[in-house]
Amino acid sequence: MALFPITSNFEGDFVLQLVAVDTENTMDEVAAAAAHHSVGRRVRARPGQILRVRRQGSEECFPRSMKLGEAGLKPTETVEIIWEAPKH
Amino acid sequence: MAVLNRMDWYDLARTTNWTPTYVTEDELFPPLMSGNFGLPQNAWEKYDEPYKQTYPEYVKVQRDKDAGAYSVKAALERSRIFENADPGWKSVMKAHYGAIARGEYAAASAEARMMRFSKAPGMRNMSTLGCLDEVRHGQMQLYFPHEHVSKDRQMDWAFKAYDTNEWGMIAARHFFDDIMMTRDAISVSIMLTFSFETGFTNMQFLGLAADAAEAGDHTFANLISSIQTDESRHAQIGGPALKVLIENGQKAEAQKRVDIAVWGAWKLFSVLTGPIMDYYTPLEHRKQSFKEFMEEWIVAQFERALTDMGLDLPWYWDIFLKDIAETHHGMHMGSYFWRPTVWWNPAAGVTPDERAWLEEKYPGWNDTWGQCWDVIIDNVVDGNMAMAYPETLPYVCNMCQLPILGTPGKKWNVKDYPLEYNGRLYHFGSEVDRWCFEQEPERYAGHLSIVDRFLAGMIQPMDLGGALAYMNLAPGECGDDAHNYAWAEVYRALRATKKAS
Repeated sequence: MALFPITSNFEGDFVLQLVAVDTENTMDEVAAAAAHHSVGRRVRARPGQILRVRRQGSEECFPRSMKLGEAGLKPTETVEIIWEAPKH
Repeated sequence: MAVLNRMDWYDLARTTNWTPTYVTEDELFPPLMSGNFGLPQNAWEKYDEPYKQTYPEYVKVQRDKDAGAYSVKAALERSRIFENADPGWKSVMKAHYGAIARGEYAAASAEARMMRFSKAPGMRNMSTLGCLDEVRHGQMQLYFPHEHVSKDRQMDWAFKAYDTNEWGMIAARHFFDDIMMTRDAISVSIMLTFSFETGFTNMQFLGLAADAAEAGDHTFANLISSIQTDESRHAQIGGPALKVLIENGQKAEAQKRVDIAVWGAWKLFSVLTGPIMDYYTPLEHRKQSFKEFMEEWIVAQFERALTDMGLDLPWYWDIFLKDIAETHHGMHMGSYFWRPTVWWNPAAGVTPDERAWLEEKYPGWNDTWGQCWDVIIDNVVDGNMAMAYPETLPYVCNMCQLPILGTPGKKWNVKDYPLEYNGRLYHFGSEVDRWCFEQEPERYAGHLSIVDRFLAGMIQPMDLGGALAYMNLAPGECGDDAHNYAWAEVYRALRATKKAS
């Protein structure tokens, strides 16, 4: 367990933000921590959609249950937090 | 006794180079300070300043200018312009004085470097006058706001800002330290006078003078017009230096300095002047949008200045032309949302009428920045103020030290431009910021941005209170909404009408 700073690039928001998370956090928890600083402040919630995390520039999101410490990210590296509509 | 005409003696009188015999040329003009670019002294003697002025002429003209500006101030001191001004206009003054006044004193030191260390006699003469100009600008822009300090504590930041770690001041210092405090004489002439002053101070001073007159603040309008007349003279110091460099095969080095300085100046003006023109200035007083002003006064004029000089447009010109319609909207949203961290009170500038103006000037504004403002406005109208403030830091660029931002909403294009250098991960707000850093990484690598300082534990406690204390923002100085959210009443009324129907 270790505090780990990431840079959040949240879909629909205008600025990168510093977000403090933990290496033990899952990607869903990372997304929630980032959402705390964007959703309801400058980005509208999207009911029914979930948030996914991906490395900047990547098309592929990290698995939702993957722990941050397993993702190979560097401290302060930028991740994109992306809205995803539920798959039917 | 007949007096010779100035042009009969000027060139001879300012030919003050000599061949040193007791010391070497490098001891007389240390290359680190002088910036000789490998050119001998006689190459610099060809420097020919376009604006020739003698000291007696300078003193006479400056005396008249001072008499004009100070007498307007004295005449209007009891007019209660400050008390009656729109709060958005007061914020313009506070932002301007804090960001500029002490920088003028610093610029006097940069001019003094050219005055002592330039190998070009003409440059030494011009920058002697330029140095006196900058002292004058520093003095005026501290004296004029001082009468308001007793009425409004934020006005004290005219003097205080430069000594603080407030984030905008870190950005301003980083830029000015780079282009004028830590460069040789010739580089100062290119980066400060040609790039920054020719390229950009027209905008801050001419644009603001017009806005000030519109707002009825004739003291401020006269002050900055008076300053601009000096700027337009000493801004010409760099041009002949560029000519010497280009004629002697140093175009690439000259171009690089122009490119770095122009980009840094642009970023600083995007946060300082952009919000003022498009958001703080009351709608009825706006003549042009920031983009229109940039296109008319900066882009067209600066393109001509560059090509006349034999330089190319900076390689990033297309990026710059795109940015002038975008970046300042983000800078405004950033300084508004993080308003407790600035020394003025940002005006939101987003009433329905103002939004219609923004949409007209910047088609697509409502689908982009407007989408974020919709959420902010709802929170203010609902009284949900906790959500109308931040709980973390924006990530800032390791070059310009300003928030890394882009266009939000339906055209979301925010992007980090990272670079790993000597094991440290740096973040940049654009390809150009990263390029500037890469030109001389060791020059910039050791600097800590406000976020780096936070992560290094230099800001304690690690919360908003700790950050405000670190930035020297005392209670009564922190920014809040310029109009105390009065603008939200329009939206409340609109909601009530909608509900009733």
